[in-house]
Amino acid sequence: MLFWIVAALLTLLACLAILVPVVRARGASGLDTDHDLEVYQDQLAELDRDVGRGVIGRTEAEQARAEIGRRILRVAGPDSGTAPARSSQMGRIVATLAVLAVPLASWGIYAVTGSPNLPGQPLQARLDANPADSSIEELVARAEGHLAANPEDGRGWDVLAPIYYRMGRYNDAVVAYRSAIRLQGSSVTRELGLGEAIAANAGGTITTEAQAALERALVLEPQNPQAQFMLATAMAQEGKSAEASHAWRSMLAGLPADSPWRGAVEQSLARLGEQPAIPGPSADDVDAAALMSDKDRAQMIEDMVAGLDQRLRENPQDAEGWQRLVQSYVVLGRLEDARDALQRGLDALGRPSQPAASLETFAFERGVTLGEQAE
Amino acid sequence: MIVETGHFALVLAFALALVQFAVPLIGGRSGDARLMAVGGPAAIAGFALVVLSFAALTIAYVQSDFSVANVWENSHSLKPMLYKVTGVWGNHEGSMLLWVLILTFFGALVAWFSGNLPATLRANVLSIQGLIGAAFLLFILATSNPFARINPAPIEGRDLNPILQDIGLAVHPPLLYLGYVGFSVCFSFAVAALIEGRIDAAWARWVRPWTLAAWIFLTGGIAMGSYWAYYELGWGGWWFWDPVENASFLPWLSGTALLHSAIVMEKRSALKIWTLLLAILTFSLSLLGTFLVRSGVLTSVHAFATDPSRGLFILAILVFFIGGSLSLFALRASSLTQGGLFQPISREGALVLNNLFLTTATATVLIGTLYPLLVEAVTGDKISVGAPFFNMTFVPLVLPLLLAVPFGPLLAWKRGDLGGVAQRLFAAAGGALLAVMIALFLVDGTGVLAAFGIGLAVWLMLGAMTDLALKAGIGNVGARLAVRRFVGLPRSVFGTALAHFGLGITTLGIVAVTSLEVEEIAVMRPGDSLSAAGYTLRFEEISPYKGPNYTEDQGRFVYFDAAGRRIGEIVSSKRLYTARQMPTTEAGIATRGFSQLYVSLGDPTADGGVVVRVWWKPLVLLIWLGGVVMMAGGTVSLLDRRLRVGAPAPRRERAARPVEAAAE
Repeated sequence: MLFWIVAALLTLLACLAILVPVVRARGASGLDTDHDLEVYQDQLAELDRDVGRGVIGRTEAEQARAEIGRRILRVAGPDSGTAPARSSQMGRIVATLAVLAVPLASWGIYAVTGSPNLPGQPLQARLDANPADSSIEELVARAEGHLAANPEDGRGWDVLAPIYYRMGRYNDAVVAYRSAIRLQGSSVTRELGLGEAIAANAGGTITTEAQAALERALVLEPQNPQAQFMLATAMAQEGKSAEASHAWRSMLAGLPADSPWRGAVEQSLARLGEQPAIPGPSADDVDAAALMSDKDRAQMIEDMVAGLDQRLRENPQDAEGWQRLVQSYVVLGRLEDARDALQRGLDALGRPSQPAASLETFAFERGVTLGEQAE
Repeated sequence: MIVETGHFALVLAFALALVQFAVPLIGGRSGDARLMAVGGPAAIAGFALVVLSFAALTIAYVQSDFSVANVWENSHSLKPMLYKVTGVWGNHEGSMLLWVLILTFFGALVAWFSGNLPATLRANVLSIQGLIGAAFLLFILATSNPFARINPAPIEGRDLNPILQDIGLAVHPPLLYLGYVGFSVCFSFAVAALIEGRIDAAWARWVRPWTLAAWIFLTGGIAMGSYWAYYELGWGGWWFWDPVENASFLPWLSGTALLHSAIVMEKRSALKIWTLLLAILTFSLSLLGTFLVRSGVLTSVHAFATDPSRGLFILAILVFFIGGSLSLFALRASSLTQGGLFQPISREGALVLNNLFLTTATATVLIGTLYPLLVEAVTGDKISVGAPFFNMTFVPLVLPLLLAVPFGPLLAWKRGDLGGVAQRLFAAAGGALLAVMIALFLVDGTGVLAAFGIGLAVWLMLGAMTDLALKAGIGNVGARLAVRRFVGLPRSVFGTALAHFGLGITTLGIVAVTSLEVEEIAVMRPGDSLSAAGYTLRFEEISPYKGPNYTEDQGRFVYFDAAGRRIGEIVSSKRLYTARQMPTTEAGIATRGFSQLYVSLGDPTADGGVVVRVWWKPLVLLIWLGGVVMMAGGTVSLLDRRLRVGAPAPRRERAARPVEAAAE
């Protein structure tokens, strides 16, 4: 209700800003020429000062005085002043329309864009409210406030970690599990949760860090099916299909007949037969490389690097590409080419610039510098 | 309640801006004083409403009201209070609101101080201001409403882009916008004159101070932005001819031209049509800058969000105002009367030369900025123009201009004596030559170009001082009289000399940094030392630190001078802002006089070291100090009593503000 009163008052003030000048304005204003005369007279006075300081020659000052004089005459001429203004019938209509337009337009637009019934929700006020009325997010925020004040409360982290995970705040979940493990000690649940959270945070990839957590869980409980399953999945993700398949099979053998994990393992095994586990430098290529002789493999790598090199010649604005190229040459042991690539990259990216600087740093870390002649 | 009040006030401001546009314009055409009188109060009320709206949004940020989508997207409850407030304009919606706030602020100033302007001119100027305001308010309400709400409200925000969490955000955008938008007043005056078909004598008196005010702010905004980028981005560069930088540099160049041509117009009533065109072009370039930065055409830290509908909308505004004003110019310019006459060699002629160079330079930068965008739009290829292009085109254009600067203020009006002026500049030229010699022979390892650059800078500074000395009559009259005359010089003379002196300072800084900079890079472990430019830097340790909303690894360095005395400590760090998981580099900077030692941390290497880059940047602070001196010059000029004729006393209040800004 208060909002509507304020809105009405504001509208009233806006209308008054239009209405008051219309009512109060004099019918006629002073002649515009008065202003011009004032300016010209000041120009004349200034001219005298300039002559005094020697900024303008005497002859030129006379000419300028004549120019200003002509302008004054023109202004003072008979038909140059504007006619005295007057209020007309049309003026009243325009003013009325304007006064009406302000409330109509503003309330009309606000009706479409506004949310008049939604109260403001300052954070502190929400946190001070009764917990029973709070949403899960608000409860979490409250717990966070508590933990920020008492960061050594291991039980608090223990409770919060799985909630974070369920809310999709994987990074916070990782931090919470780590804190819980640090304060409460390792346990199967915490390590499993940590492994899961790290993997979820990495977009599903079971990273080495996640694997370490899972392995710690396996130490505590060697037959834990979730840890076994995820570790096997990690192998599949790394392209070690044979090992993954082996792990899943031995897991199947150990699982009780009614275990809920059976279905998941069987599905994974079936999927393994059909598609490569990781995208990118495709699994076929890698398999092919594994089958090739050393010479062929070296040739394939050389071709790929040459391709990258060629692509960068055509499209040199690729900071990441240059880093890859430098890296490739370093790996191949072709330091001269690496230095050349660095030089070309720096030229293409333009120094000094951020991409160029990070390319230089990148190369420097790999022992590639331009040497003395560049400085 | 507060948020919705702010929203409603914004809508109301839009409705009022439409009235401010239409009613005074109709009044001006029909000669109805009652209708013309509406412009002023409407402008002031509109400003008050936008202030209310801006305050409401600020309160939402301060209270972390995440039911406002804009607050949720750009704030975080743990952010320090300063960044909660500056975060209001650290995003697209809020920055557009700031833009409009400043626009209506200037509109209100015009309304407040223009009581002595001819009524029709006043009505038309306010009408055009209203039209610009209405266009941008509509843009905000239709595509970028900062008051959009979320229900239910999230409990925590997404935080502000860490690069923007800096004191720079409190200074750079407001200053820059004051500059950009300040030119809108000149634009409105130009269009108003075109609508009326005549230029009043008061016109130039009015346009010059507004140009000057906008120019002061823009100078400050660009200098501040450049310094911010220098210390925040961590690669030691201070200007990269980045399109976003160019977008602010373009109106500065043409604004500088406008400033100079407005002098001619004000004093001699010459160059009227040209000045009018420059006023239109300068604000058009400001709009173009807003479009380039806000539309998402350019991806950078400034393009907070990209949304094609916004880009199209701003493009439409751009086309409407630039196209409209230029068409009006084409229709009406021929009917305007020409003013005073002058010889080619004269103060007027010098200012025309200045304008020729500056506008050509503007065109060059404009081409360099837009060409890659056009190529990408047409063929889809990404090409980069970058620094080499500007070094080859812009620099040669500016060099002769800088050489000519000391001549300008010494030439007499209407007809000058170039030989005489050259004679009087003999001492300055001698000083510059001496500087070149010293640079060549005493400072080791400088090239001819660097020496020449230093000479140019000294020439500019001595030239500015010569101007003051000659006008005071030092050497010609007795010491006491000279002092009295010096004190009695018009403030605008001091302003000119200061601004040109500042230009010299900036030139010196640029030349010193580009030609004498020393850069070292090394992998360092705690205890290692590195030498650069006579200083020895010892890496002490790397230690973790936790800020309010970030964690960082601080690298501590101690540095010694050539004699081995310990001078001080430098802390350089790599920060991680936890909410956005975004790393930033915080360069460690030690200031020695006007020079700086700049330390930036790279990535840690596998064997426990860390990559450290060290720059010795000689006289680097002069680049920005020169900007501050230029601002001071502008401010002094703005305080000149002459400008108060036809625009009386209250001007002083407004002019005092740039000094505060510069002091920051």
